[in-house]
Amino acid sequence: MTNLIPALNILPSSVEPIQVEFFDPPMCCPTGLCGPTLDQTLLDVNEMILALQTEGIRLERYQMTSNPNAFLGNVEVMRLVREKQMEALPIIVVNGKIIKSGEYPSLSEVRAALNGAN
Amino acid sequence: MTKFIFFSGKGGVGKTSMACAHAVRYADEGKRTLIVTTDPASNLADVFEQEIGHQITPIAGVPNLSAMEIDPDKATQEYIDRAMAPIRAAFPPQIVEVMEEQMSGPCTAEVAAFDRFTDFLDVPSNNGTSFDIVIFDTAPTGHTIRLLELPAEWSQSIDAASAGSGQTCLGPAAAIQDAKHKYERALAAMRQTSQTSFVFVLHPEAISIKETRRAIEELRKLDIENFSLIINGIIPPEGAQNPLFAARAEMQSRYLDQIEHDFDYPKQRMILLADEIKGAGKLRRVGKIFFDGEPASGSDEAARVHLQNETFASPLDDVRARLSPNGHRRTVFFAGKGGVGKTVASCVTAVWLARQGFKTLLLTTDPAAHLGDVLDTPVGDDVTEVSGQLNLWAVNIDPKAAAETYKTRILNDARQRGRPESAIKVMEEELNSPCTEEMAAFDKFIEYASQDEWQAVVFDTAPTGHTLRLLELPVDWSKQIDVKVFASVDATAADDVAKQRFAKVIEMMSDPEQSTFAFVVYPEATPILEAWRAAQELGTVGVHPGLVVANMVIPSEQATTPFVQSRRAMQEKYLAEIGQRFGVPMVQIPLLPHEVKGLEMLAELGDQIYSEQVTV
Repeated sequence: MTNLIPALNILPSSVEPIQVEFFDPPMCCPTGLCGPTLDQTLLDVNEMILALQTEGIRLERYQMTSNPNAFLGNVEVMRLVREKQMEALPIIVVNGKIIKSGEYPSLSEVRAALNGAN
Repeated sequence: MTKFIFFSGKGGVGKTSMACAHAVRYADEGKRTLIVTTDPASNLADVFEQEIGHQITPIAGVPNLSAMEIDPDKATQEYIDRAMAPIRAAFPPQIVEVMEEQMSGPCTAEVAAFDRFTDFLDVPSNNGTSFDIVIFDTAPTGHTIRLLELPAEWSQSIDAASAGSGQTCLGPAAAIQDAKHKYERALAAMRQTSQTSFVFVLHPEAISIKETRRAIEELRKLDIENFSLIINGIIPPEGAQNPLFAARAEMQSRYLDQIEHDFDYPKQRMILLADEIKGAGKLRRVGKIFFDGEPASGSDEAARVHLQNETFASPLDDVRARLSPNGHRRTVFFAGKGGVGKTVASCVTAVWLARQGFKTLLLTTDPAAHLGDVLDTPVGDDVTEVSGQLNLWAVNIDPKAAAETYKTRILNDARQRGRPESAIKVMEEELNSPCTEEMAAFDKFIEYASQDEWQAVVFDTAPTGHTLRLLELPVDWSKQIDVKVFASVDATAADDVAKQRFAKVIEMMSDPEQSTFAFVVYPEATPILEAWRAAQELGTVGVHPGLVVANMVIPSEQATTPFVQSRRAMQEKYLAEIGQRFGVPMVQIPLLPHEVKGLEMLAELGDQIYSEQVTV
């Protein structure tokens, strides 16, 4: 249940702001490999993250158990979580703005958000 | 420097007794001694005749000695509480509930027990709880090895995770990162021969020798080397004065020679006593016999013996009704502590069922399985027809092999779906986590448990604690799937199929018309208590015992000498207790002058215990 790219944890965020943030629902393994059957959705998410990383996008993925502070530190995310509880998750934030809640976006949605914000 | 002594060996060889006798001896020598058990079915409390539990507890009547039983459930709860504390404080209740459900999986339990266990290898020197000697009455071999293997695997998992390519399935990342150094120190201490030693307790019997060799090899792979052996249960000259015990003593002497020849480690011997080892006084006497070579005076107990002259046998129709298919498939699970004879009981039963004309599958999930030894025919991880016995098939689920198959299947599936190699590489690393083995073995278990082609399926299950976890898995997993759906991650069609499959297995296991849980015990206090506890735990998932198999029962006509009479009297007391406690039919397997091996012997024994009214 670590982050997919924990190496980024050591970078001071003030220098290189995180562009894409995933706030995951509670799950055994974010890869989808840990359940009794494979979760293809999560495998797709994984693939999308790898693609974004390859493009040099700075990205973080947060689990509630390992990164509760990431949730607590984002007022908008916590407001959604308190209001809609499980239905709010996952929440995807691009350049500080929530672009999707309740399901994962497609790669093109994330790209569009990145471009739109630029 | 604190010294660590690990007692290892298959359950039922007297490991706990020997560990306790050592603990009492060291404490009496003035050393501050702690004895810890990590066995999910611990019996320290039985041996010391006092409550111990999940904290360091002083032992009455033995100054300098404390004991602790690591309760896996408590350890898991403590671990979850630690991880959940910040969540409970900040998140809404629905989310807290889902996360707690998530953390109740089998991996968390394994991690938590190990985490607690390594605490004792990492004893702090300045908080008043430092010990000169810490003795670990470890869990049965297969489980012990899994526990000891974990640090190496975990270090790899954690390294992979911090290298940025992998993740772990072990619980909260923060907790793991903190624990990494602790686990590394634990493993380093275990490798340090001046600090840590491993004592293998074994019986002079083929299976026990094989187990010991296997356990030693596994540990050597982890660069652990400091071993010694205690050969326990040796029939003393005064015990060998009757034909059955003389034959067994003869068998033992052959194996004693083999042990001398095969194992190049320090060895000590301990005789079979006429009575039970319980209480500090008795443990001191064992110490005198073991360390000081004093003779065992068995005759004083023997003088007080009153044989009840009762058979304790249940009507065979009742027994057979719980084993035979009754219009639909019958699944028989043999449960009990490792070493009590589950394999023999399951082989005898499977051969008997096959001979009754039922198409029968015999199956084991025990990592330390020796099905092939008893059947005297190779048993692999594919379902194989047992040559020489019509209607009988056998299979051994090897968790490591199952994990490989599972990995290959998943990766091939991913390739077929056109996932890029970079993603497949990440998946491959993921699948090297320790969870995969558990998962894969379980996946296989379900696969066979769901097959309709068998009229009878006989499970030679793993030792009690492990069995419970495996058998509780279906319930856990079905919850897990609910959680997934609930967590608004897409429920795929595959999930629904899996869910139906699990539901079917759960239903099958809790229906006495379809399934029989048979507890195998020696007629002795500890195995009965352990089986009883295991039965109670199974009761919480709606599964109840249907049969008890008492193994190694001394036939009453063999109780001809004071030594044998004393042991038969002890057994009679416990045969009566089995009947009262479990209230289900009992089958008795007699103590035999030889080991059970080969189809012919199995068939004969099956006829004896299931088809004739045998007076034991």
